[in-house]
Amino acid sequence: MAKPTDLVQGTLDLLILKTISLEPKHGWAIAKRIQQVSQDTLQIQQGSLYPALHRLEQQAWIKADWHPTETGRMAKFYSLTRSGRKQMERELANWVRLSAAINTVVQEA
Amino acid sequence: MRILDKARLRLRSLFGRPDVDFELEAELRFHLDQLIEENISSGMAPQEARRAAQRTIGSIAQYQEECRDMRRVNFVEDLLQDLRYTIRSLAKSPGFTAVVVATLALGIGANTAIFTIVHGVLLRPLDYPQPDQLLYLTAEYPAIGSTTRNALSAPEYAEFRQMSKSFAAVGAYSTGGAGYTTGEVNVTTGDRPLRVRSISVDAHLLKALGIQPEQGRFFRDEETSRWTGTLPPPIAILSHELWRTAFGGRALVGQKVDIEGRPHEIVGIMPPGTDVMDNRTQVWLPLWLHPNMAEQRGIHVLYVIGRLKDSVTFDRARTELNAFVEDWGERAGTKDHVPTNHPLRATDHTLQLRTLQDAIVGSASRPIWVLQAAVGFVLLIVCANLANLVMARAGSRRREFVLRTALGASRGRLLRQSVTEGAVMAGAGGILGLGLASAGVRALIRAYPASIPRTSELTIDLPVLVVALGLSAGIALLFGFLSLWRARTIDIATALKEGARGASGAWRHHARRGLVVAQVGFAVMLVLGAGLLVQTVYNLTRIDAGFDRSRLVTFSLTLPMANSDPDTRARAYQRVLDGLRSVPGVLGTVAMSGLPPNRTPDAIATPIENYTSDDGRSFETIDYYQFVMSDYFGTMGIPIVAGRSFDRTDNASQGKVAIVNETLAKRIWKGQNPIGRRLRPPGGSFGATDDVWHTVIGVAKDVRQRGVERPAGTELYVSLDQHGVAPPSMNVVVRTTLPPAALSGAIERVVRQVDAAVPVVRLRDMDSVFAESIRRPRLLAQLLAAFAGLALLLAAIGTYGVLSYMVTERRREIGIRVALGAARSDVLTQIMKQGLQVTALGVTIGLAGALAVNRLLASLLFGVQPTDTVTIAFVIATITAMAVVASWLPAWRASRLDPNVVLREE
Repeated sequence: MAKPTDLVQGTLDLLILKTISLEPKHGWAIAKRIQQVSQDTLQIQQGSLYPALHRLEQQAWIKADWHPTETGRMAKFYSLTRSGRKQMERELANWVRLSAAINTVVQEA
Repeated sequence: MRILDKARLRLRSLFGRPDVDFELEAELRFHLDQLIEENISSGMAPQEARRAAQRTIGSIAQYQEECRDMRRVNFVEDLLQDLRYTIRSLAKSPGFTAVVVATLALGIGANTAIFTIVHGVLLRPLDYPQPDQLLYLTAEYPAIGSTTRNALSAPEYAEFRQMSKSFAAVGAYSTGGAGYTTGEVNVTTGDRPLRVRSISVDAHLLKALGIQPEQGRFFRDEETSRWTGTLPPPIAILSHELWRTAFGGRALVGQKVDIEGRPHEIVGIMPPGTDVMDNRTQVWLPLWLHPNMAEQRGIHVLYVIGRLKDSVTFDRARTELNAFVEDWGERAGTKDHVPTNHPLRATDHTLQLRTLQDAIVGSASRPIWVLQAAVGFVLLIVCANLANLVMARAGSRRREFVLRTALGASRGRLLRQSVTEGAVMAGAGGILGLGLASAGVRALIRAYPASIPRTSELTIDLPVLVVALGLSAGIALLFGFLSLWRARTIDIATALKEGARGASGAWRHHARRGLVVAQVGFAVMLVLGAGLLVQTVYNLTRIDAGFDRSRLVTFSLTLPMANSDPDTRARAYQRVLDGLRSVPGVLGTVAMSGLPPNRTPDAIATPIENYTSDDGRSFETIDYYQFVMSDYFGTMGIPIVAGRSFDRTDNASQGKVAIVNETLAKRIWKGQNPIGRRLRPPGGSFGATDDVWHTVIGVAKDVRQRGVERPAGTELYVSLDQHGVAPPSMNVVVRTTLPPAALSGAIERVVRQVDAAVPVVRLRDMDSVFAESIRRPRLLAQLLAAFAGLALLLAAIGTYGVLSYMVTERRREIGIRVALGAARSDVLTQIMKQGLQVTALGVTIGLAGALAVNRLLASLLFGVQPTDTVTIAFVIATITAMAVVASWLPAWRASRLDPNVVLREE
């Protein structure tokens, strides 16, 4: 399984969940959105994105539907499920805790 | 909820795979198009934009694979792939596969078959409600060293019923000797009388067992406990099976059926499979004793079964019983023939409780466990063989495994592959084995219908299947791990460099030789056990039962008591004997009340003139009464050792005469001349009206009456010709030059002429009677010998396999030695020596093991000790011969190696 090497391990799931928490998005839009919000710091490779999406779907945290895009093409839109939202909140809390801890350590040293 | 969603998604991924793949492709295509669009809008030419996008996105196929991995589909797909691969690779080495599957089938089959018996006979609870509450009460005579479980007397039964507080219900049954039936009755269906197995039970017994009739009703209390008149009430219950087979299952309750020539009302039908004490009962009759018998404490005819109250344990019931026995005399108000805890005299008995299951299984339990141990050994040998085969194969497949590891297969993936391989073979072996077991058990029951208790209930049921499945699964795992044992420590680089041969670790040689040693050891134990039992059977067949058994044909007849009196019976039997004598090929014919060597004992208290026993009695209990007609001793070939035989002139004389056997003469008259002494057998025992003194005119050589392996008891012969009476049942024996089949027509004709309502039963030659008396040791010996043969074969294959593998591995070395001038005979000797060394070690270990456990066999042996040197020598010779044969082929092959070919090979 390919891992996003330029990301802290396990954070891709959180990024995806967070990105689609407001509205359903297709894979391309998710990647673009993350890139945009992070001001091009985070570039999600397709090789990481789609396996991650399928894994999350398999965990029943996100679900997928085919809808037309604004240009009229059919695309696969992912949205959060109820348990996915809970999972996101768990991972978010985890991340806040972890990053705060890392920050503290890094700044101390 | 989430679990359901996940399950649905997995299923979709697995079975809707084309859809999922299509969707995935569309999704990725969409992504690609977006990328192209972005490239174009950033100023690239369309062609350039497409190429750049495809470069970034790489191979779509790889994503598909990864996404599918995420969907966990690959697990199942890998499994299918493993299966396909396994079947392909097994098909490529059909010899290996066939040996493994056949070996497994034999090992699993033998174990499943024997476990079916262990489970069905020993472990499975009896088919009654709460069977562990059922106990069996018997009388035992420890003072004479008898281990036989005897019946209780009617007064004892009544007293026990009254005293006992531990039981919710106590009932009794009799299968004969109760003065009415002999455990068999004639049932008339249409024009043909049938001889069927009967049991006499009281209403309490049916209550205690907790069974319900399938149709109609059971016996009522008053029908089975008020013993008046001269005949039992004419009612009966049929077994479901007899009702179906003999009466076609027609409505029968309330109808009359002739039993022993007397119309009986069928009051009920038993549910299918219902029985008591493995009696194979077909007709249930009301328990009835002649009023005189019911009073006598010395007549033991009732077997007692009780059901404990819910709160009472077995131990408490036994404690209670012991307390009763302590002062039974005072409670019953009599001194003679009461149970006692301190038996001193031969006639003293104690009472014993055991669980009904123990009582039914009885002495069959040890042989069955011995067989289970034997097949367990066989399975161990099978596993050792498999381990060897698999390790040999793993050696030659090392490159394959290494290559696959180098190409990125994980250890788990390789393990899964080899476990799959094991599972396929163990599965095939298991299925074949189950087939073998089911056929084997059926054949066994057919061949030995009455040798094992509870066989009518034997089936391969769920617990047996679970055990067979467990065995197969265990073997599959063993197989998988062993295949990878080497791969575990593989260093890819070295292994690939080494090439195909590789330097096998010394430990592996040790392991493989160790396995062969173990195989030989187990085989030694099995062959020794089988040898001892075969010798036991041989000894049993060679016992002189006391009469000349060759060319004898026998059958039995019962003239129902109800419509015949002793005089007419005697005349009827006489006419049968006369009729047979005129058949060509018949040399002589006699009738007797009890057919040796498998008759039941009589144990009749017999007054003896001028006699006082050590404990002051004027009578002695005589084990067997033999009532004979015609020239008994001459026809049977029993020598008269003193005095004379019965004579025609005796028939007319008034003074009644008797003949005793050597044991009786020795026990009573202790070396004094028994001729002319007098005894007074009860006339009621054979149909005479009075008890009269009989004068001893001769002493006959002892005849084994009850099992050829048991010592002869005391026996008294009375001539029915002299009395002109006969008991209801007699055995006819014909000395003839013809086989039973050739005589059966003539016998049927003669008997029909005398009484058409009397069936001829158990028509066979005396050799079959003897064979039946030793059927259980014979069965055990045959099965053990078969398993030992299997073990030998497997050990031979194991030895052969290890040696030929060794020869293959050392081809170069042997080639060089031959090239340097070693004689071919040296090479042959050396390889054979290695084979024999391993065998010798195995034999030593096996013999030590055998001596340790063979004591368990001791009680099953006859005329041979567990440490019998002849048998041990035979075992050593057999195993050595096996080893020589198994080593010779690889050794010969090694000695034939052509150094030119071998050294150029690489």
